[in-house]
Order: sequence, then structure tokens, then C-alpha cells
Amino acid sequence: MSETRQINVSKTGVSKLAIVVLAIIFAAGLFLVGFDQGHIFSLVYGEQAFEDLYIHELTHDMRHAAGFPCH
Amino acid sequence: MKTFLFIVIVLISGAFAGLIHGTVNFAIVEPYLDQVIGIENQNLFASGEEKDTPEFWVEYEGYRIWQKSGQMLAGVILGTSIGALFGIVFALSRNSLPGNNDVKKALVLAGIMWFTMFVIPFLKYPANPPTVGDPETVVLRSILYLSFITISGFGVVGFYKLSQKFQNKRKLVPIIGYGIFISVVFFVMPENPDEITAPIDWVNEFRIMSFLGVTSFWVSIGVILGFFWNRFSPNKETTQSYN
Ligand SMILES: [Zn+2]
Repeated sequence: MSETRQINVSKTGVSKLAIVVLAIIFAAGLFLVGFDQGHIFSLVYGEQAFEDLYIHELTHDMRHAAGFPCH
Repeated sequence: MKTFLFIVIVLISGAFAGLIHGTVNFAIVEPYLDQVIGIENQNLFASGEEKDTPEFWVEYEGYRIWQKSGQMLAGVILGTSIGALFGIVFALSRNSLPGNNDVKKALVLAGIMWFTMFVIPFLKYPANPPTVGDPETVVLRSILYLSFITISGFGVVGFYKLSQKFQNKRKLVPIIGYGIFISVVFFVMPENPDEITAPIDWVNEFRIMSFLGVTSFWVSIGVILGFFWNRFSPNKETTQSYN
């Protein structure tokens, strides 16, 4: 156990972990508000979710207002 | 970089800016949505699909309250999401952005992203109130819209990177290059296939309100993240080290 670990962090470097975390949040949030048609709840509730469109109804007004394609 | 602090201030800034966006929409966009849904209801009564009964209106009111409260929640979710993208780009580009403090830098970046990822796509594929879109074409329209935003966003990054290879006129190269590039894309991309059957004045008013709402988001995210960045400097390393 004589190995010395040195952590070199440049002062201007941007954490890769932070970028990955934020990128995932970006993609998930965008899909949820902009494009979900019942997909996410269908993971839990199955086909019925596509009929109910809970998230779609909840995010529906913002979807139109923010310029995402809808009905 | 203080990774955790960075993530937290980015998410909080996005959520706040999204809440502002949701609130602005609640005030100025919802009245238009109420009108259009009123027309949709009249059409349902006329076609006999629904009956103009008290039960209908009870159900309708509940449904609209759910949708309107969703405007706020969706504002926060969307704001956090777009804010996350904004945070990534800000962290990566901060050293090259003009401005002597982080609020100015963040506002410059917000302005660039507002223009290239919202204004230009909006000119090609403007927001539409309900009933304008054909449900049959929603997937196609989503693909077109997202592609255009993505092409525009990566276009800016590409031309910026390219300009760094030139010694002189560094500022003009990306602006002119992007301008030509996006003009070509603008005319090459297919039009929105849906025909607008609703009164155009009314659709235009909706678009103006939608535009103001999204703009309020970009201004807010610039100011808020810039402020937090100035305050907490998440890019600076602490003197502590962990082995
Ligand atoms: Zn819709």
C-alpha cells in the first residue's frame, strides 16, 4: 500500500460527473415536458397510462406555451 | 471545481427561472388557452360528442385546474431541465464569455442561447395554441422542431470553435458563418405540415404571449445563475484535499 494517489484538478476544469448528471436531468426533463405521451407512467401502469395521459395533461399547457409541437 | 455546489446552484437557478416562466404563462398565456378550449367545447356540443350538461362542466373545471396547476409544475421541470443545459454550457464557456462579472457573462450566454435555440427555431416553427396541430403529424413536427434547435445550437458551437483557429477577426467569423449556415438550414428544413384553421390574429397573439414567456425564462436564468455564480464561485477549488 505504498501507492500515492495524487488528484490533479485544474482550476478551470469542469467536473465531468457534474456534466453527466446535468445532461441526464436535461434530457429527462425535456422529454417529460416536451414529448411524453404517457411513456413514463406506462413503465409502472402499463398500457393504461397511454389512455390516461396524466403527465401529458399536467404539462400540456406549458408544452403549447413553450412552443413544443402538440395538438 | 466544487461539483456538488455547482450542480445545486444550476438546478436551483433553473427551477427558479422555470417558476417565473410558469407564472408569466399563467398570467398571459392561460387566458388564450381558456378561449380556445371554450371553442373546442362548443365544437364537441355541436357534433354531439359531448352534452352541454352541468356534469360536463364540473368535469371540465376539474380538468382545467389540473392543467393550470400543471403550468407551474411543468415550468419548474422544464426550467430545471433547460437550466441544466445552460449550466453545462456556462461552466464550459465562462472563460471565453465577455463581461467583468458572472451576471454579465451569464446574461450574454443566455442571450446567445435564447437567440439561437429559441428565436430562430421559433421563426421557423412558431408556437401554436391548441387545435392548430394535427395529432397525426405530432411525431414529425417534434422531430423537425428538435432537429432544428439541435442543428442551430451545434452550429453556434461549431462556428465558434472554427473561429478560434483564426487569428484575426475572431468575432466576425462565427457570426457570419453561423448566419449563412442557419439561413440555409432555415430554407431547407420542411415547413410545419399543419394548416392553420384558427383565426390568424388570435394565433399571432398567442405566439407573442408564448414568446414573452420563454424570453422571461432566459432573462431569469441568466440573472439568477450569474448571481449565484458570483456569490459561490463553484469553479474555484477549495484548499482542502482528499486522499
Ligand atoms: Zn395540445
